[in-house]
Order: sequence, then C-alpha cells, then structure tokens
Amino acid sequence: MKPVIINMQSLCRFYVMGDQTVKALDNIDLRFIKNDYAAIMGPSGSGKSTLMNIIGCLDTPTSGIYELNGQSVAEMDDDELALVRNREIGFVFQTFNLLPRMNCLSNVELPLVYAGIDPEERRERAAAALVQVGLGDRIMHRPSELSGGQIQRVAIARALINNPAIILADEPTGNLDTATSHDIMAIFERLSGAGNTIILITHEEDIARYSRRIIRLRDGKIESDGTR
Amino acid sequence: MSGTFRQFRYETEESLRIALFQIRANKIRSFLTALGVIIGIVAITMMGTAINGIDLGFEKSLAMLGYDVIYVQKASWSTMGQWWRYRNRPDLKTAYAAQLNRIIADNPDSRLDIAVPQLSTYQASARYRERLLQQTFSLGTTADYLLTASGDLSAGRFFTDAESNSNAMVCVIGDDIAKGLFPNEPATGKSLQLRNNRIRIIGVFRKQGKFLGLFSFDNQVIMPLGAFEKIYGTDNFVTIRVKIRDQKKIQEAKEELTGLMRRLRKLAPDDEDDFSINEQRAFKSQLDPIKNGIAVAGIFITGMSLFVGAIGIMNITFVSVKERTREIGLRKALGAKRRTILLQFLIESVMICLIGGLVGLVTALFITFSIERIVPDFPVRFSPGLVLASLVVSVATGIISGLAPAMTASKLDPADSLRYE
Repeated sequence: MKPVIINMQSLCRFYVMGDQTVKALDNIDLRFIKNDYAAIMGPSGSGKSTLMNIIGCLDTPTSGIYELNGQSVAEMDDDELALVRNREIGFVFQTFNLLPRMNCLSNVELPLVYAGIDPEERRERAAAALVQVGLGDRIMHRPSELSGGQIQRVAIARALINNPAIILADEPTGNLDTATSHDIMAIFERLSGAGNTIILITHEEDIARYSRRIIRLRDGKIESDGTR
Repeated sequence: MSGTFRQFRYETEESLRIALFQIRANKIRSFLTALGVIIGIVAITMMGTAINGIDLGFEKSLAMLGYDVIYVQKASWSTMGQWWRYRNRPDLKTAYAAQLNRIIADNPDSRLDIAVPQLSTYQASARYRERLLQQTFSLGTTADYLLTASGDLSAGRFFTDAESNSNAMVCVIGDDIAKGLFPNEPATGKSLQLRNNRIRIIGVFRKQGKFLGLFSFDNQVIMPLGAFEKIYGTDNFVTIRVKIRDQKKIQEAKEELTGLMRRLRKLAPDDEDDFSINEQRAFKSQLDPIKNGIAVAGIFITGMSLFVGAIGIMNITFVSVKERTREIGLRKALGAKRRTILLQFLIESVMICLIGGLVGLVTALFITFSIERIVPDFPVRFSPGLVLASLVVSVATGIISGLAPAMTASKLDPADSLRYE
C-alpha cells in the first residue's frame, strides 16, 4: 500500500464575520496517498480556496487533524509553516505569480534560496527543472518575454524544484486558452506518471477530467469523492 | 547551525539583489525618498565641517599668540567688557619687565623664562609720502620681543639690543603695511612717518593672518620702547609678555608670576590682585559657548531634516509593501520566513538611506572644497569621523524608518496576500 501524504480528520475552518460564524470547511475527512492525482471541484463559496490554503499550509484549521507527510501541521507557527511550504509543497497559481523583474532561472531557484542551497547547485537544479518543462532555451528570459503558457511552465518548474511531497495547482489553466491549457495539463499528466502527487483546484470539468480522482465540495462539506 | 547561517546569507544576498532591483526600477521615487536623507547628511557634515573649521582656525590663532606666553595686563581677557572692574587699578609699568627678569635670573627653579615689556596703541596711522594707512597697531618693545612672539621676517632684520637700549628710531612692520605703503618696492630702508616722527624700516614680517579673524598681526609697527614713547608718549597700554619654560606647567607659572607681581606692586596679603594674568586659554572659554550654540542649532536642523526624511522613507516603504503584497504572499508561499521578509524591506530602506548618505557626503565634500577654493580664509575641515558619523546616521535612519513597514510586511497573511489585487 502507498504511503499517506495527507491525512485530514474532522477538519474544520471557521471564519468569524461580525457576530456570524462562517463554516468554510465543516468536518472534512480526506486522505491523499502518494502519486494521487486529484481534482477538487465546487462552486464558488464551496470552501475550495479554504481547503487549498489549508492543504498548502497557508492557513491552519480551526479544529481537527491535518497531517502532511507525517507532520502535524495544525499547531505550527508561521515560520514552521514557511519551512513546510518550502519543503513539501510546490505551488502553481492561476495568476502564475512570477516575479517580473527576474529571469526564469532566478524565479525557479527562489524556493532553493529560502532552503539555503548553494548558488551553483541552485542554478543547476533550476536549469534542469526548466529543461524538464521544455524551456531549456528560455532560462535567461524574463516573464514579460514569454507567452502565458510558457510562464505557467516556468511556474511549474518552480513548483518542482524542491521535490515537494505534493504539487498544489490552483486553477492552473484559468488564465490560458484551451490549446495552451491542454499543453499544461499534458505536463501535469507526465509529472503524475513520474510518481508526483498532484492536487488540482478547478471549476472546469474538462480540466478535472485529466485527474484520476475528483472531490466535489459544497457548503464546506465533501459532496462526492470518486476515483474514475 | 552553519546551515542556518548559510540560509541567512543567501536570504540576505537575495534581499540585496531585490533592493537594487527596486531602486533601479523606481529611480525617481528612490531619489525623492533619499532626498530627505541627502539634505540631512549635508546639514550634518557641513555643521561638523564648520565646527572642525572653527577649532582649526582657533588653533591657528592660538599658535600665533604662542602657547608658552602669558600676559600681565590691567584687565582680564575672560571678563572682557567689564571695564569698570579694572578702571581703578593702577597702570602697569614697562619697568616691571626688567625687575621681573632680575628676580627670574636669581631663581634657577623659576618656571618663568623671560619677561618682555610692551607698549601699544591702536590710535596709530602710518604714512609714506602720499600714502596713508589708518588704524595700524603700534607696539613698543625690546629686542627680546621675538622670544615671545611667532612670525618670521620676510625681509631685513629685527632691531638689536643696542638699538633698543639707545631708543633708535627704527621699526619692523607687518606684511599688510609693507604691501599697502610699498606696493612696488622693498620696504626696508625706507622711512615711515608716524605722527610727526620719521622712523626707518629695518625689517618686514612674513604674512601671519588674523587672530580669530579680528586682530591682524600683519598690521603692526614694532619699534623700541624709547621710540614708541617719543612718538606716542608714555601714557599707553602696557603689557608684560612673559615666556614660560614649560607650557605644561602653565598653572604653576601663573601662580609664580602672580606672586612676583604682588611683590612688585607691594600688595598686602589680603589685598586683591590689581593686575590680571592672561593666557590664550581665556579665548577658548569664550569660544566654547559659540561652538556649542552652533552644534545645538546644527543638531536641531539636522535632526529635523532627517526626521522629515525618515517619515518620507517610512511612507514610501509602506506604499512599497502595499504594492508588493502579492509578491510578499508568493515569497511566503515559497518558504520565506517572517524575518526574511522583514530583512528584505529593512535592507531596502537602509540601502536608500545609505545611498542618500553617500550622495549627501559627496555633496558636502564638494561644498567644502568649493568654500576652500573660493574663500581660503574661511575655516572648514572635513574629517574621517564625520564620514563615519554620517554613514552611521544614514543606516540608523534607514532602520528606524523601515522597521514599521517591514514589520507590517513580515506579518502579512500569505493566503490573503496572494489574492490581493
């Protein structure tokens, strides 16, 4: 049996808005095993983003258990969370979030800077990651010199650089046209084939269809969780 | 441990790189931000330069008076302006000098070296043919005068003991008088007219400059006592110039001289001194309040401009944090800790201040240099201490003004920041 990467038990995340408590996530039980390729779907307000923040260690649950790669994350402080994010999670965002003033290589090696890796090793690994996403000839380009699809590939290279436990992609194709979207999804497919654990957040059915498991959220609860 | 250190180093390098990027990307904004610091640092350094310069000018002037000469006079220098306190004192006599010298010669342990009498008046003018110089300073003394005064002769010689004792009508003049009366010819050998007497010039002093910018040594006509009395009469201002053996023992020398003068004046033990013993240090005590005044005013002005500058930098850094909220969120998502973000913004504001400080220093240096070129007499001096002080102040300004925005940035919630539009 494959190791469990994420273990959530009766996880809740409440927001207090004035005198009202919003139950963004209500009693969630979820597990992801290694090499899972899952899509989290749901209408806006369903708790998708909150769940992504919790999985990505950008936020901590109000109550319940969240274990990531064997570590209990729920009680960590800001700096410990930063360390976990750096080591265990590769983020891919809808808005790409590359730093515009830096070239591709510098963007990709950023997580390694925070991990305290030597400059030479940083450059080598960043270049290798860019080659892996098919941008070996663009490493010195700046984001402004690239197309949307290329930028998202740089972002994927950045997500891969630290060999994270999971790759967490939040609407990775939301700002791309259909053809480019499918190019990007092809990369995820390849990464999954290579043994990576991938969690997609999307509201597009045809993007979700690339994954092997679809989790649907509604009103902070899991509506369905099915392996195709 | 070394891993943590390495990580810290790489983060710092990264922060420096970002700061440079930021400053280059927003040149005008950075310049305007730094302007406050630039003005502040220029103010600091110019103030420091002025104070240094006053000290320097003062030292120069004191050196002219001689560190090892004390002056017996009717009035005290340190309470100048209170003439009524000295009005009723009996006049000094030039003969005291000879009496003092006899006592000094009899005492091998004396702290005093030699006493030289001096008569002087400001009410003098010097004439040579149709040229007239008003407000010169005439001084009658002995051949020993040179032992108690600074300055070399640029031409001719000083008068001798023989000339001094025989009251010869000869004089040595200052550079300004020589230039003023004899612009195109040598002064030595010519005769000056002082009041209704003619007196032969036998020497000219090299230019010395002004004492504290007030009194010029280049404006003097120095002659034997007898010649002076013949021209100006005996009723003039008497000074006994006393050279001491060791300038470190000036206090003991003053006490000894006080005792001798009381003896010459035949004062009873409970009588007050009816003379004053002056030394150049008296000027220093008058100058210090002025210097302190300049320093206090300077610190206030400097402080204000730096304060305004610091507020500007704080403001801009807050704007910068706001603008880069997403970037902060992203960096946090990729593993930047609080201190990483804090450091990044601190380094940025410190760098702006440091650049401002350097620009300010260069500007101040340029101004100092220009002043030295245009008005050579104006005392200014730049010192390495000033450079260090202004760099320290720049960095401190950067830290103080960057701290609040940097703290705000470091505490931003990564999830919210990433979604910030």
